[in-house]
Amino acid sequence: MNNKENKTIQKRGLGAKASRRLGNTVVYVLLILMTVIWMFPFFGIVLESFRVETTGQVSYMWPKQFGLDNYTRLFKETDFLIWFRNTGIMGVATAVFQTFFILSMSYVLSRLRFKGRKALMNLMLILGMFPGFLTMILIYKVFADLGLTMNMAPVGLIIVYCASSGMGYYVSKGFFDTIPKSLDEAARVDGATRFQVFYKVIMPLSKPIVIYTILMGFMAPWGDFMLASYLIHENSAGMSVAVGMFEWLSKTNVNTHYTMFCAAGVIVAIPVTLVFLMLQKYYVEGVTGGAVKG
Amino acid sequence: MATVKLTNVKKIYGKDTVAVDNFNLDIADKEFIVFVGPSGCGKSTTLRMIAGLEDISGGTVEIDGVVVNDLQPRDRDIAMVFQNYALYPHLTVFENMAFSLRLKKVPQDVVYEKVTAAAEILGITEYLTRKPRALSGGQRQRVAIGRAMVRDSKVFLMDEPLSNLDAKLRNQMRAEIILLRQKIDTTFIYVTHDQTEAMTLGDRIVIMKDGFIQQVGTPTEVFDMPDNLFVAEFIGAPKMNTFKTDLICENGRYYVTPYGAKIEVSGAKAEMLKAKNIGSREIILGVRPEHFVMADKNSNEAIACTIRVNEMMGSELHLHVEEANGDRLIVRIPTITLSDEQRKSLVFGATIYVTFESKVMHFFDPETEKNLLV
Amino acid sequence: MKRLNDLDYLKLNKASAFLYKLKLFFCSVPSYFKKLGLAILTLFKNCGLAVKDEFVDIITTFTKGNWAVKLSFLIFGFGNFYYGQILRGILFLVFEAVFFAYMFVPSGGLYWLSKVNWFQKGATVGTVQGKFEYDMIYDTDIWVPGDDSVKVLLYGLLTVIFIVAFVCTWRMQVRQCRICMNITAKGKKVKSGKDDLRSVLDDQFHKTLLAIPLGGIFAFTVLPIIYMVLIAFTSYDAAHDGFSNLFSWMGFDHFNELLDFGEGGLGVAFGEILSWTLMWAFFATFTNYFLGMFVAIMINKKGIKIKKFWRTILVMTIAIPQFVSLLYVAKLFGSSGLIGKALIDWNWLPDSMLAANQLSLWQNPIASKILLIVLNIWVGIPYIMLMATGILMNIPQDLYESSRIDGASVWQQYSKITLPYMMFVMGPYLLTSFVGNLNNFNVIYLLTQNNQLINTELGTPGGVSVTYTDLLITWLYKMTLNSTDSKYYMASIIGILVFVVVAVLSLVVYNVIPSTRNEEDYK
Repeated sequence: MNNKENKTIQKRGLGAKASRRLGNTVVYVLLILMTVIWMFPFFGIVLESFRVETTGQVSYMWPKQFGLDNYTRLFKETDFLIWFRNTGIMGVATAVFQTFFILSMSYVLSRLRFKGRKALMNLMLILGMFPGFLTMILIYKVFADLGLTMNMAPVGLIIVYCASSGMGYYVSKGFFDTIPKSLDEAARVDGATRFQVFYKVIMPLSKPIVIYTILMGFMAPWGDFMLASYLIHENSAGMSVAVGMFEWLSKTNVNTHYTMFCAAGVIVAIPVTLVFLMLQKYYVEGVTGGAVKG
Repeated sequence: MATVKLTNVKKIYGKDTVAVDNFNLDIADKEFIVFVGPSGCGKSTTLRMIAGLEDISGGTVEIDGVVVNDLQPRDRDIAMVFQNYALYPHLTVFENMAFSLRLKKVPQDVVYEKVTAAAEILGITEYLTRKPRALSGGQRQRVAIGRAMVRDSKVFLMDEPLSNLDAKLRNQMRAEIILLRQKIDTTFIYVTHDQTEAMTLGDRIVIMKDGFIQQVGTPTEVFDMPDNLFVAEFIGAPKMNTFKTDLICENGRYYVTPYGAKIEVSGAKAEMLKAKNIGSREIILGVRPEHFVMADKNSNEAIACTIRVNEMMGSELHLHVEEANGDRLIVRIPTITLSDEQRKSLVFGATIYVTFESKVMHFFDPETEKNLLV
Repeated sequence: MKRLNDLDYLKLNKASAFLYKLKLFFCSVPSYFKKLGLAILTLFKNCGLAVKDEFVDIITTFTKGNWAVKLSFLIFGFGNFYYGQILRGILFLVFEAVFFAYMFVPSGGLYWLSKVNWFQKGATVGTVQGKFEYDMIYDTDIWVPGDDSVKVLLYGLLTVIFIVAFVCTWRMQVRQCRICMNITAKGKKVKSGKDDLRSVLDDQFHKTLLAIPLGGIFAFTVLPIIYMVLIAFTSYDAAHDGFSNLFSWMGFDHFNELLDFGEGGLGVAFGEILSWTLMWAFFATFTNYFLGMFVAIMINKKGIKIKKFWRTILVMTIAIPQFVSLLYVAKLFGSSGLIGKALIDWNWLPDSMLAANQLSLWQNPIASKILLIVLNIWVGIPYIMLMATGILMNIPQDLYESSRIDGASVWQQYSKITLPYMMFVMGPYLLTSFVGNLNNFNVIYLLTQNNQLINTELGTPGGVSVTYTDLLITWLYKMTLNSTDSKYYMASIIGILVFVVVAVLSLVVYNVIPSTRNEEDYK
């Protein structure tokens, strides 16, 4: 009797261990498949950038001839280096100013209580619902008058990236919200002004979110095509990589510039990816901690 | 070292949520005052108003005769210990304790002296270079106290400092706070929801409920002569038994008639009843569990009840008994007064006969819940 | 409708409980609107009362105040001087001086205000049209500039804002007089300039920190948005650029044009693009959400090794600037791209899907839409995966253990524990991500711009040609930048409509999702 029962229980499935092993195998297969799909474009770009036999697009992957032609052309025949420098400068400046803007904003909204705080947050929520780039019509006009387009476009763009960045306070506010309020109170009882609370207590505790914000600020100009395209028109000296490289893939240019685009893509991706992977920990903390709460 | 005076203090959240109302209290220099009450009674809010962490909606708070309503916390010269310690995680224990001194730009040698002296008293000298996260709960609590100690401030505020500790540690720290108090010797305001802490620590206790003070008095006063039913039930553990019954005045003698028994009121309480000239009436009678005694079955003072739960606490038994009409009482009997046989008979379902000592009952008005003798 | 009490409700079986809830929902709709109406009414009432209070306060300040207070109604900061607040007094006075100087200097505030012709239908913005005039010296026609409508409107708007600020400041200093009056009446001292300076880093610290970011937001978001709303009522386009041709006020004429579904109207194009935009946002959000969560669960599964490696692979795609990866991928699926070519060569696509002139997936309306959603999964999964990983780790393990003991299968664990928890925590995120997808410029534009076939049926709405996959936002983008026939006014109108759509959606969703209704459920 007892024996029989045992058997029926065993028969019901594969048994815990075996079924888990099967499950894990399936998951591994899926993960490997995913890795291939996600990494494919990157290998593709890298391979493409070493292709010598053509400058246009071909429908096979492996280059028939490897070489650095695309890279040499990139540096010799185009203004890519200038674009790269422009974008780098914009990245650093944006990182600095945007971090300042966002941290001030989110700190105040998270930890200080004052009249109109709720109203302010609602206002910014509503403002965020307007298609933001429409403002570029006016901003372009004004900047054109002030001489902040074309050659000076990077300066104009830094202002555009930073000025309204306070509206993106959600993630870091979410982080600040997790720091116990009693720390502020303890510090204030201990004799600190609110400013001292800010820089002596809260800032030292906020390393992850500070780094996250800096990272986001640095990466913004590298990825932005839309806003940049307003202020930059076919003028090499003020171009950012995104706007410049986009043109290479237009119908008229694609056959001569395609492989060069890939080479440029590799060069752009390397520093950003390296910085990113180094600070990945903080990025993950920022996304998982802040975004969900906010 | 200062007096604290609260006059008609009031706290309103939003438009009409009253957290504290009509709070009047004079705290003498070097007094140890405990605010106690169930959660949400406004005790912490009051403390935070004294600290300056909450705005005061009405009334005045004075420290040493100076109205501090509009002063920032840092200008009030107070020290505070928080429930969750609120240690700065990025600073070492030493820097945590030195934080307030550093803000005041106190020279390093003075800082060193003060911090090590405080650490000595609290027994945390060996942890001075550690970060808070490497400390246990009790150690963190000491650091928090030490941080408040080094300030030599006028008033020492403590907001439920022991409630995050486990029971054993809490008892130990409670004793240490009593010792500490003798060493620091300043004005203490201590908030807790635990009546044992309140009774053992306070010179005077302020019992609060729903934002109002229920009674202010020494531990003995609030225990022996609770102003109202709430205080009576809140102070003392297990809590006081209360039941509706009649007070009968016959020939100048007073009797109470709980559950068909007839027990005479004697001693001081009888005198007080007489002095107040109280006649026969309905009352709520309060009897503390420890004032019950076993009674003879046939005595007309005996109340028959059935045992529902028998909690053996070691030195005493807590019997949860049920009276015939379903009322539940708690009876506390020292183990030492019981013979082995009696102890064996006190089992679930057994009927016992109890009465209580006639000198120590409390009489409350059923309507107002006020103590009839106050 | 009769409400059941809790115990009666518990007796219902699943189907009738659902029906009951449905009924309850529909019955609550009228009362919801009634409440909304009442709320708006009370809002107006409160506003009215507040305004009344303000006036009463101003009048009492004037009648009760001494000569200094009375004088400060005209001269800013006089009351402050009188009560010893020199610093504030100076600031107020300087503000007033600057204001009047700006208003009355030639080509100052009044000059600009007079030129705008606010909202007069048919009137031009600016009064002097530039034109070519014969010039004796050069012996040719040269351009004599007139007004620039863009500038006139901008300066007009700025002047209005300045006036509003002036009134507010006036009110503020009157109020301060009253406060000073009250404080001195009580025999206390008013705050000195030193106190003010101290409070900048203490109780007024929020103002210090907010000043610059809010200034930036005002100048670069609020002001331009107000400006764009004004533009919607004008005829600002490439032909009337304000400089060579003044533009004029049009009232609601262009709004009607957009909602006109007949010949010449934009109604059809707008409807089609809006519906695709909503569809896109819906699919893009939810495919990403569920698949991202699935990936996160896979990686976090017990017994899976090198978790960090799998995660890093995905996270790398975040690091690489989107325009590089997206543009490459777009080409990959193009007619001569690796995959695009292969698909055609191997005849994987049914002939009916690719008509003769459609050389790649991008050029087929339906295939390209599907492809966009699929590629968006590639873009979006890493973000969701990261977030979901964080949340998954927060779900208490004992929930799973207890459910296993209760006999739950893996699927039941997922649907009864993981999913509700995720939905709860990520509800607000889903909303923001939906809105983000409505405005997802990068993915759509970068993937399709150089590849796609123009949707000729729609003509050139707003002066630009649109593709089958254009979102409202890319349409707007082209309208404002790409075309020689830019219709800025139309872009503004559509921008306003996008705002309305997003605002209504957010409001509804925000009130429905559990995260906002039962905030404490999972804490």
